[in-house]
Amino acid sequence: MTELHFTDVQRDCLQELVNVAMGQASDKLARYLGTFVHLQVPAIALVEAALLSQHFASRYQQQSATLVSLGFFGDQGLRGETIMLYQLTNVGVIAQLLGYSDDAVSEAEMLTDISSVLTTTFLSGLAEQLENSFSYAAPRILSSRDRDFADKLAYTAEQWQLALQVDIRYQLTDYSFNCDMILLIPGEAVLRLRQTLDNILADF
Amino acid sequence: MQLDWLLQPLLTQLNTGVLVLDAQYRVVFFNQFIARRADVDLAKVQGNLLEDVFADLPLAWLRRKLDSVLHLQVPAFSSWEQRQYIIKLAHLRPLSSDSQYMAQNCSMLPLTAPDGVSRYICLLIEDATDAYVYQQQLQQSVMQLEHANRTDGLTGVYNRRYWQQQLGYEIQRAERYQHPLSLLLFDLDKFKDLNDQYGHQGGDFVLIELSRLIGSLLRDTDLFGRYGGEEFGIILPDTGMTGALQVANRICDTVAQHKMLYNQQTLKATISIGVVSYFEQSVDELIQRADTALYCAKRQGRNRAVAYQPELEGYLKKVK
Amino acid sequence: MALTALICDDSLLARNQLKKSLPSAFDADIITASNGAEALTILRTREVGLVFLDLTMPELDGVGVLEAIKADAMDCLVIVVSADIQPEMQKRVMELGALAFVQKPATADKLADVMHKYGLI
Repeated sequence: MTELHFTDVQRDCLQELVNVAMGQASDKLARYLGTFVHLQVPAIALVEAALLSQHFASRYQQQSATLVSLGFFGDQGLRGETIMLYQLTNVGVIAQLLGYSDDAVSEAEMLTDISSVLTTTFLSGLAEQLENSFSYAAPRILSSRDRDFADKLAYTAEQWQLALQVDIRYQLTDYSFNCDMILLIPGEAVLRLRQTLDNILADF
Repeated sequence: MQLDWLLQPLLTQLNTGVLVLDAQYRVVFFNQFIARRADVDLAKVQGNLLEDVFADLPLAWLRRKLDSVLHLQVPAFSSWEQRQYIIKLAHLRPLSSDSQYMAQNCSMLPLTAPDGVSRYICLLIEDATDAYVYQQQLQQSVMQLEHANRTDGLTGVYNRRYWQQQLGYEIQRAERYQHPLSLLLFDLDKFKDLNDQYGHQGGDFVLIELSRLIGSLLRDTDLFGRYGGEEFGIILPDTGMTGALQVANRICDTVAQHKMLYNQQTLKATISIGVVSYFEQSVDELIQRADTALYCAKRQGRNRAVAYQPELEGYLKKVK
Repeated sequence: MALTALICDDSLLARNQLKKSLPSAFDADIITASNGAEALTILRTREVGLVFLDLTMPELDGVGVLEAIKADAMDCLVIVVSADIQPEMQKRVMELGALAFVQKPATADKLADVMHKYGLI
């Protein structure tokens, strides 16, 4: 996998673009939800897709977790899939956050809604940084209340060569919940992404 | 090459609904897909509020979705699996779907006019009725399979495997809530003679007829199963020995008085019943004891119900 | 004597971006720090007239730096350059004595506007 390697400078560049996109997403969310979103430096890591399930299996060992996937496509062959990981104990908090307490909305719908809001706000900011724009596929729940989510994650990740793991902790003043976001990018799109980063770096 | 001319015919013939709203959720545009299926004329409703154009919208839900699209400037989605339809639209499979309305996948996308200021929302509506119909059929098949999996093919009562599994659950429940629980095990008297006289079809007829008759005497919560051949079991939750004996005697009497018409002949049959009440036995022990009581009922002359008592074990040994 | 300006950001890209985007009319010695703690060490050892300060950083974040500057009554101007642009955060840093708030990425136009407004160029 050496050809998909990122140099320190490229990594730093990507990290900064992610920071800026996160900032924009948080701002939009804060205004929309009427609550302050505490922003942490999102830790990004490039991991081999094959190792992903191991990594998350230990983190979500105790509770059952839900996986929601959302695909995105941009220009110049940039495409990928985001996976949001939630602990199901958070579902009530998410309902409150979205103002869903008033009517009957299924758990599945809440999870796809919050996932599409969190990922598309972030991704559209990232696309802007990359001077690209993304279109999105509808979110899908990969597994819910499922003990063997690691298998599902492994199966999904298998189709990708490299995963950009962005650990995002959405912490809000009035409500608190955590979720993890994983960006999965196929090999050839990683090369495109690296080229774009080099172009940005050449400007500065 | 100038391609602008493509837009109109494409929008008209597109097999996807296109509906555009302004920031006040007034209808700006919809294509033929929607116009025909909702039977509305764009020229007549353009500029009207969405809810005034389409009846019975899930308004609170939809507004929340549209608000998020406008404020966050990101798309929102809705799937038929979570919400079957948003706008009531006719579909083209009126016979094969049990739903009057088209199942829909919907994407709601933010749009900005060339002036850079005016915001719009575009709803793309796709027909998911096929997927919906397949899923309904699948669900139905699964339910039929589940039913077949626990039913005795001949008599329609529970099969042995399912019945015995339920007995295990009922024992756990009785144990947990300290409720009484009784079990009847019964057998058709001289079933072999019936078969010899009327053939196997006659025997089957009697089994079916009596299962129906006995079933009609039971409560919804009682569990009636075929244990094998001409032997049946009935689980009576929340029932002690006194109540169970009453039920058993009533079944015995009703069966004995019941006349069945088979090939222009009148048939009569009797049954013998063993009755046992649960007291910390295992499933196997409980069935074993009911079987002992049933054996005694046979020995005592058939067409009767006998309650299990420990003394019966001695009786059993003596006659053996 | 030229003014000394400190760019404090954990990202190399952000530091370079900012350095490149500074108006040419701005005559200053530019030094950099890659986190809040490093910035404070510099601020306590040498005279710095202007700080471009990121907020989301490891070690010590921008808010922590602003608090220390305020507590020690250091004589320097601070322009916050951050991705965290929530209204609540903007209000907070202004209360802590920041001169201005610039949204990342810091383009030449945005920087020129702000620096012109406060007479820095």
